[in-house]
Amino acid sequence: MYNASKLAFAALALVLTGVVSAHGQGVNGSITATAQVQAPITVTGTQNLSFGNVFPGAAKAVVYTDAANGGKFSVAGQASTPVTYSFTLPLNLTSGGNNLPIGSWLGYENTINSTSGGSAITPSAAPTGSTLSGSGALFFFVGATVTPPANQPAGSYTGTVTLTVSY
Amino acid sequence: MKLLSYALVLTALTVHQLSAQRPITVTGVRSLTFGAVLPGLPTVVSRTNAANAGQFDVTGPKDSQAALTFTLPLVMTGPASATLPLLFAGSDAGYSQSQSIGSQVGFDPKQPFVITFSKNGRGSVFLGGTAQPIPTQRAGSYTATITLTVVSLP
Repeated sequence: MYNASKLAFAALALVLTGVVSAHGQGVNGSITATAQVQAPITVTGTQNLSFGNVFPGAAKAVVYTDAANGGKFSVAGQASTPVTYSFTLPLNLTSGGNNLPIGSWLGYENTINSTSGGSAITPSAAPTGSTLSGSGALFFFVGATVTPPANQPAGSYTGTVTLTVSY
Repeated sequence: MKLLSYALVLTALTVHQLSAQRPITVTGVRSLTFGAVLPGLPTVVSRTNAANAGQFDVTGPKDSQAALTFTLPLVMTGPASATLPLLFAGSDAGYSQSQSIGSQVGFDPKQPFVITFSKNGRGSVFLGGTAQPIPTQRAGSYTATITLTVVSLP
């Protein structure tokens, strides 16, 4: 009987131990997090806006349709996806400490590399919407006018036109 | 002899009671899915998003309490070991005794959270989050593992 009692208590102890040990034990389960990142946007300045020789006192314009001298950007990204673009435009071209005023910006955007079949735009810092083509392309063409005063110092003048595009 | 009988009865009762309780289990039911993500644009998945929120189903002894702890990745890993940052906000996790995504109690997945199992010993845990790709994020598939640990409380 003594042995039987001991056996019963041992069984009870085992059960209770099981109850206690169940507390504090961790059980794990896992899931995955997934994402499909689409193509990042690339912007390439493919042609400079070139005014060539400019004479003091004579304004000179380059139109965006000028295939040789108009500024041009190409954009690549996720096909058929809306984007926002904006320009950072200089007020002057500079040569050392001298300024050559530039303004009257005009432009064109298109899903193909052409100045027809797209839309005329006025380049500015204001964010503007557009959509990449079915192959993920977009093209921008820009023109402007420089207005050198009569006393414009001679020199080589440059400025930077920046196009920013984001999803 | 009497003592032996009491011990056996008590043991039998305890065993019976234990056998009637649900064991603690955790099952990953649904991935946290961000879908198509554009570089530079954060993508948020709400814990109430029935299609994309992560889901775990948990079981345990009815009306008992347990502590939930997530192991959360900081990034998802993609092509050529590129990483995509993941963020979890203070209310991105939710617990539902009824296992309904529309009836959750929100909690911070970065902190342990105590739950009470329902009378049928079941519950569901939902998880949302934010993927934060940089503008130059490399294109491709990104994945990470999220683990939920459930510890029974006395």
